[in-house]
Amino acid sequence: MFVLKVAVEMKNISKTFADVVANNDVSIKVKAGEIHVLLGENGAGKSTLMNILSGFYTPDSGEIFIHGKKVELTSPREALKCGIGMIHQHFKLVNSFTVAENIIMGNGNSALRLDMKAGIEEIKKVSQEYGLQVDPKAYIWQISVGEQQRVEILKVLYKGADILILDEPTAVLTPQEAEGLFETLRKMAKKGCAVLLITHKLDEVMEVADTITVLRKGSVVGTVNKADVDKRKLSEMMVGRETFLRTGKIDNHPGEELLTLDRVTVLNDKGIKALKGISIGIRRGEILGIAGVAGNGQKELAEVIAGLRKAEDGRILLRGENITGLSVFDRINRGISYVPEDRLGKGLVPGMNIQENLVLKKYRSAAFSRGAFLKISKIREASREMIEKFDIQVSDMYSPVKFMSGGNLQKTLLAREVSDTPDVLVTSYPVRGLDIKAMESIYDLLIEQKRRGCAILFISEDLDALFQLSDRIAVFYGGQVMGVLRPEQTDINEVGLMMMGSKKTGVA
Amino acid sequence: MKKRTVIVLIALVLVMALAVSGCTPKEQPAANGQDGAKEEKIKVGFIYVGPVGDAGWTYAHDAGRRYLEEHLNVETTYIESVPEGADAERVLTQLAEEGNKIIFATSFGYMDPVINVAKKYPDVIFMHCSGYKTADNVGTYFGRIYQPRYLSGIAAGYKTKSNTIGYVAAFPIPEVIRGINAFTLGVRSVNPDAKVKVVWTNTWYDPAAEKDAAISLLEAGADVIAQHQDTPGPQQAAQEKGAFSVGYNTDMKQFAPQAYLTAPVWNWGPYYVEVVKSVMEGTWKSEQYWGGMADNIVDLAPLTELVDEEAKKAIEEKKQEIINGTFKVFRGPIKDQKGELKVKEGEEMTDAEMLQFDWFVEGVEGTI
Amino acid sequence: MKTRIVLEKVCVPKRRQLAYRILAVVLALVLGAAFLGVMGFSPMAIYRKMFGGAFGSKYGITETIVKTIPLMLAALGVSVAFRMKLWNIGAEGQLYMGCFAASWVALRFPGLPAYVMLPAMFMAGMLGGGLWALVPAVPRALFGTNETLSTLMLNYVAILWVDYLVFGPWKDPKGFNFPITPEFSEAAFLPAFGNSRVHIGLVFGVLIAAVLYIVLKYTKWGYEIRVIGESREAAEYAGMKVIKNILLVMFLSGALAGLAGMAEVSGITHRLQSGISPGYGYSAIIIAWLSRLNPWGIIVVAFLFAGLLVGGYSVQTIGLSASIATMLQGMILFFVLASEFFTEYRIKLVRREGVKNGE
Repeated sequence: MFVLKVAVEMKNISKTFADVVANNDVSIKVKAGEIHVLLGENGAGKSTLMNILSGFYTPDSGEIFIHGKKVELTSPREALKCGIGMIHQHFKLVNSFTVAENIIMGNGNSALRLDMKAGIEEIKKVSQEYGLQVDPKAYIWQISVGEQQRVEILKVLYKGADILILDEPTAVLTPQEAEGLFETLRKMAKKGCAVLLITHKLDEVMEVADTITVLRKGSVVGTVNKADVDKRKLSEMMVGRETFLRTGKIDNHPGEELLTLDRVTVLNDKGIKALKGISIGIRRGEILGIAGVAGNGQKELAEVIAGLRKAEDGRILLRGENITGLSVFDRINRGISYVPEDRLGKGLVPGMNIQENLVLKKYRSAAFSRGAFLKISKIREASREMIEKFDIQVSDMYSPVKFMSGGNLQKTLLAREVSDTPDVLVTSYPVRGLDIKAMESIYDLLIEQKRRGCAILFISEDLDALFQLSDRIAVFYGGQVMGVLRPEQTDINEVGLMMMGSKKTGVA
Repeated sequence: MKKRTVIVLIALVLVMALAVSGCTPKEQPAANGQDGAKEEKIKVGFIYVGPVGDAGWTYAHDAGRRYLEEHLNVETTYIESVPEGADAERVLTQLAEEGNKIIFATSFGYMDPVINVAKKYPDVIFMHCSGYKTADNVGTYFGRIYQPRYLSGIAAGYKTKSNTIGYVAAFPIPEVIRGINAFTLGVRSVNPDAKVKVVWTNTWYDPAAEKDAAISLLEAGADVIAQHQDTPGPQQAAQEKGAFSVGYNTDMKQFAPQAYLTAPVWNWGPYYVEVVKSVMEGTWKSEQYWGGMADNIVDLAPLTELVDEEAKKAIEEKKQEIINGTFKVFRGPIKDQKGELKVKEGEEMTDAEMLQFDWFVEGVEGTI
Repeated sequence: MKTRIVLEKVCVPKRRQLAYRILAVVLALVLGAAFLGVMGFSPMAIYRKMFGGAFGSKYGITETIVKTIPLMLAALGVSVAFRMKLWNIGAEGQLYMGCFAASWVALRFPGLPAYVMLPAMFMAGMLGGGLWALVPAVPRALFGTNETLSTLMLNYVAILWVDYLVFGPWKDPKGFNFPITPEFSEAAFLPAFGNSRVHIGLVFGVLIAAVLYIVLKYTKWGYEIRVIGESREAAEYAGMKVIKNILLVMFLSGALAGLAGMAEVSGITHRLQSGISPGYGYSAIIIAWLSRLNPWGIIVVAFLFAGLLVGGYSVQTIGLSASIATMLQGMILFFVLASEFFTEYRIKLVRREGVKNGE
């Protein structure tokens, strides 16, 4: 076996933002031809490190060597010149342009005249080489999220990058799409590229990594070969303690149906049917998981229940009462809680402090207001209690919540939504972007609510979580329910296929 | 050298240094030699509605102020670009506070503020231009600019080929209406078929708007442009379109040498000197002064070579008649736009009537 | 050695923010001094005069306050709308409509006693400005039209409407055809303090600032305004009535600007005339912005802003032309506005190799 050459070496990198140390004396080596995973909880410093490598940030101190040569990466363009390309979580594509245009336009050194034909040929060549199927003439808005990601990858390959950085690339993909992506990454490594993958999903790591560097709180915990570790060991390195990976669930025999959707049809923002006459019901003490690739009606489902979106057709019943025409306010009063996907900006008001956010739905109640006035001290008291009860880390009760970490934000949001002991709790992607510790506490919260008898709608992209938490899983595709399954009677592959549109007859 | 002389010299230098350093910057060094010897200069303040560089109304008043400074031993101060709202009263007060004994307020909108401030400063004389309210220490003054306007109308009447003359006018107030009427009478005295088209800008000082108004008139067929505005914008428009123009306020030849015929102009200087002199001598009395060409407060700027000989002769003739009082601009018969006889044959309009003009004479196209 | 400029968003402590603003004014004055020196003026004399004219005497201060009143009221109005991210640029027009409505009461019912007249004018002024602000607010609330443009355009309509009245139907018959209405009856004059021109509008302003402060901080409605301003989505999610609040807040915003107009005709000019506001409604936007929409801040900033304007006229008496005085004002304003940037961002010079050698 020949020795792989070192493609990237980062030595003693440190970077501080305001008072937060994002990277502290970090050194890593990445070899050409390997898939190197950066593993760590949110806030461990993975993204900062990669942003430094791709020229978005300048480190406070430290050195970077590319193929053995010392470089100064002062801008993404500079980094690209050194062969470093980054694929961000949020794609940087122009929706109204075609795939080919997006790939070629980004190419800063293009002459005045664009040779589209030659460009398209080149794109086709590259995409075949790496198994990145995509139609160069399609417009971005026409293609799926998975395809858009392929375009992003093609973009950096087209520019000749041989060091690829991917920031949590599977977050938006179905299991099948993720499998396809891993295939591509392996091909790239085989051709001598260095692939850097940021993730916090252990399953992916075990599947695709050659080498793993674990970061915690801005420092390197260690770099290991995949062969030498297992999941338990990795998660230990990540969180600094042994985690309890939950198995099984509490079965407390769901009761009567609390919320019923009866042939509900809803339009999305573009006026197209996002839900096509769906009927589902959730029972007391039950968690109904909603699986599906993002954009298949989950958002509209949550909003139509919360009253933020009008049902074009069908009925929504709460404890048998028709609430289809009721306002958001009336539904809140009837005990429907909603944890939206958009934590900051919808679920929470970014510029306001935690106290103000905790009473967002209850400021009108007698407990917190008298006449036109708010009871400021009551609000403060109640906030203190909630902060303590839900173990929310707050440095300052008066600073805007936008400065809080994702986990604490979600705890704040959930604290507010469950503190009223709702009958129905709709949660959209409640753990997206959270680290394991925060995830655990959110799941604990949901289970506690379930135990209390709340009917919970749990929308998630994380199939593992869906399988672990849900009593039943409804799979959405194209605004329709493909089937409702019991997790113990199915497996991830079956659900994955249904997410792609194959129907399951017979409903659990 | 004698020791004594040296000491005296040093002492002198010290005293002078003290005196100089003690000087507040307000005192102009121009008159230092005579300080103390003569009695203090009388201070005269001016408040202007526009900037002194407007080449129009304010410029003409400022020329009067400079004339005053040259001809009398006075110290003048001016504040320009003062809006006619709440600010005017403060600026007037400030001028009075700073020891100005005579204050010339040179825009109509300063009327109420002048009356208010005059009450608080009974020892200060206020002269308000173009207003109608007086008090013991407030007089008004204005000039019969309609007289040279009539003469400029003759020049335009001879010049027009299309028999359409454009008139860019500020606001439909009596002063402006009077000017338009006098001009039109002048035009039609030599060219009865000509019409005067009026466009209102509702501004006094807006070079762009005034130029645009002139262009719209030129496009409507006018080949001579007259104006009652404080900027040379209309003059420039006329030159650009190859038409002719009559200015206002000051000699505007430099702005449009290929278009400019003449202009009714203000000549405030001699009047200002007269007023200040009468105050110094203690003979000043509150009055409503309305001087004409005979008093030299208004005049017609020199006619350019673009004015025909025939017109020049006619203008010169009428000018003499106005000065010696044999000709009156608003003497009947005068018809209004509808053709109704407003001033009967042989009758003359009174000053009071002229000050309240709210109708157009025959030959004017436009509405008030 | 090559360097590169990097902008970083930072959280600057409040005390430092204040220091930045003071530094900005000082810098502007220093630069202004250099400029004046080049022009051949004595900078110290001019600054002394400028400051003295606005704050140096009892009269100067009262006059600065006279100017503060409309600026403050209009800025308070603007700030309420800005709180909700409603970009009401129409304070000028709303002020004019306030003038119009208040003048209508004074001219139509000249015989009213002061205790009826003044409250009636007060209400009319607020109603005039408020309803005028509702014109763009309705399409904004219902269809999401851009209120920046519509409020701005309506300024011209309002100003020309007042012009039409004073040149036409409302013209003083004894006014020799000049564009002014007859003077109001004395019952329509806002009482002034002592001998000065400072009228009771000052009290309105301070009271309204206090009420606004309380409303925003301690009431349910104020809470709703802040939530909607921060995030309309969050407000809808919480079941707040966003449309109703847009209309209410725009009405209030216009009403306060209208009150500024009422105070100006009733307290200062005692009649309606053309060009009654030299752009108070536009200055109000700058004031609201500089004070970060804080009601108390608005009082302070409006006072300083008024001083800047008043001082600008003073310096003319020592030979500075109006345009140079305006430039000086502009310079100070520019620096202060620019310093706002540094309360949120920091400029860093980074050496080309991107590595700091440990110093």
